[in-house]
Amino acid sequence: MNLLQRIRVWRGLKRLEQRVRKEPAPNTFVDLGQAHISLGMHDKAERIAEDGLALFPSAIELRHLLECARRGGRRKRADELQTKLRRGPSPKLYEELAALHVEINDRVGLQQTCHEWSLRFPGDPGSWHALAQAHLVDFYRDLSACEGADAVRCLDRALCLQPDDRRSLRLFGALLYRIGAVRLAEARVQRLVRLDPADAEAAALLRHLGGLEDMGDDVAQLLDDVQRAGALRHPAPSVAARAPEPSLAGVREGLTAVAGIDGVAKAAFIRGSKALVKGDIRDGRDAFLRVARVVAKAGQRFSRRLDLGTANKTVVEGPFGVVCVCVYGDSLAAAQCKEGADVDRVLLELQEIVAGVLVGVAR
Amino acid sequence: MNSMQDLLVGLRRAPGVKGAAVLTSDGLVAASALDAACNADALAGLASYLLVTTGRALREGAMGGCARVTLHASHGKVQFVDLDGTNLVVLFDQFADPAAARREIDDACSRLRHLQRLR
Repeated sequence: MNLLQRIRVWRGLKRLEQRVRKEPAPNTFVDLGQAHISLGMHDKAERIAEDGLALFPSAIELRHLLECARRGGRRKRADELQTKLRRGPSPKLYEELAALHVEINDRVGLQQTCHEWSLRFPGDPGSWHALAQAHLVDFYRDLSACEGADAVRCLDRALCLQPDDRRSLRLFGALLYRIGAVRLAEARVQRLVRLDPADAEAAALLRHLGGLEDMGDDVAQLLDDVQRAGALRHPAPSVAARAPEPSLAGVREGLTAVAGIDGVAKAAFIRGSKALVKGDIRDGRDAFLRVARVVAKAGQRFSRRLDLGTANKTVVEGPFGVVCVCVYGDSLAAAQCKEGADVDRVLLELQEIVAGVLVGVAR
Repeated sequence: MNSMQDLLVGLRRAPGVKGAAVLTSDGLVAASALDAACNADALAGLASYLLVTTGRALREGAMGGCARVTLHASHGKVQFVDLDGTNLVVLFDQFADPAAARREIDDACSRLRHLQRLR
């Protein structure tokens, strides 16, 4: 690209950037993102798609843009890694390349990379682990016994090379647990806990396994059963080991306390798609609920990108009065009050609600 | 009469204030008095994103615009004040109380509005 073409392209980009600022809409974000993709700036396109999705979370074209930008970025990175590997092979580079192949679903590339990896570093279990991961992705998606058996074979090979490979033990334990081989799973997870007693996830799974019925040690038969039934015997370990939802009774009390403060018109607690409300809120489409969500999300993004850490409180003032938003983790508490209300007290109460939920003992 | 820059430099003397800038709503820096560590362009772009997003949600909900936003984060606090077309952004350290500097900020805002009217 000569200088003149370069100037033209940059002018075009500037114009598109201004359009996005003046008329933010899914198609303006997509135009800008595509222009960056065509210039090979996939990381910038990814950020544009993320910004667009923060404003228009349900825009399918923006999701496609994000996917396209990510895929393009990963392909670019894979090419770079292949060039580096030609110059100086290392297990770390192979590992990164294999993970990229799994992400972009390039099975042929993965097979080639892992083959080369195991030839160059025969004592490294990484290549078998990466292959097992790819087989597991397909097994969990299609529930095909064949993919499951391949995953088991690869994990066996990885553990033969390095019996204390925690990543392989974790994958193997989870697979055996999900198909019902509880006793075999327990042995792997026990080894995992012995290797790292601080591993809370493994400890929780081990506790969970203690209360389950064993369906036998014949892994091939259990994989066939899963394929025939079209369903796994047990949910993912993360779901099984998840702590029970904290009681919302404390949240209700907290919202009542907030709504009782002079000048507070509306109060809400939002977690995921669930919301508890108090005060003058008609339904889930109330503008206050959307404003609280948007303010929390935009505040988080702003502070993270500006290296200000986590945004935990935001106060918005305007003709509507004051909207106070308090965020901790994935919980959000917000209140709308009239001008002159005791905002500090409102924020303190909101903070109590979200902090209570965070520690699982809401007031 | 003070220039916009002088006003921002003066505002930095308020309790807990680390820096201040006047930004246009489309993300450009009109004037700034910030630490060398703070990238004014990045601040302008991110502030524009935050204010456009918040303003849009408020307008769509028929709640009007936003006059002031105060954000408390783990490593600092930021206050944005609408100046009719531009925004004043004031950065605080994490221990500061933005309410303690409210009088100075309001004073700077009225002077900045006056300057804008004269231009």
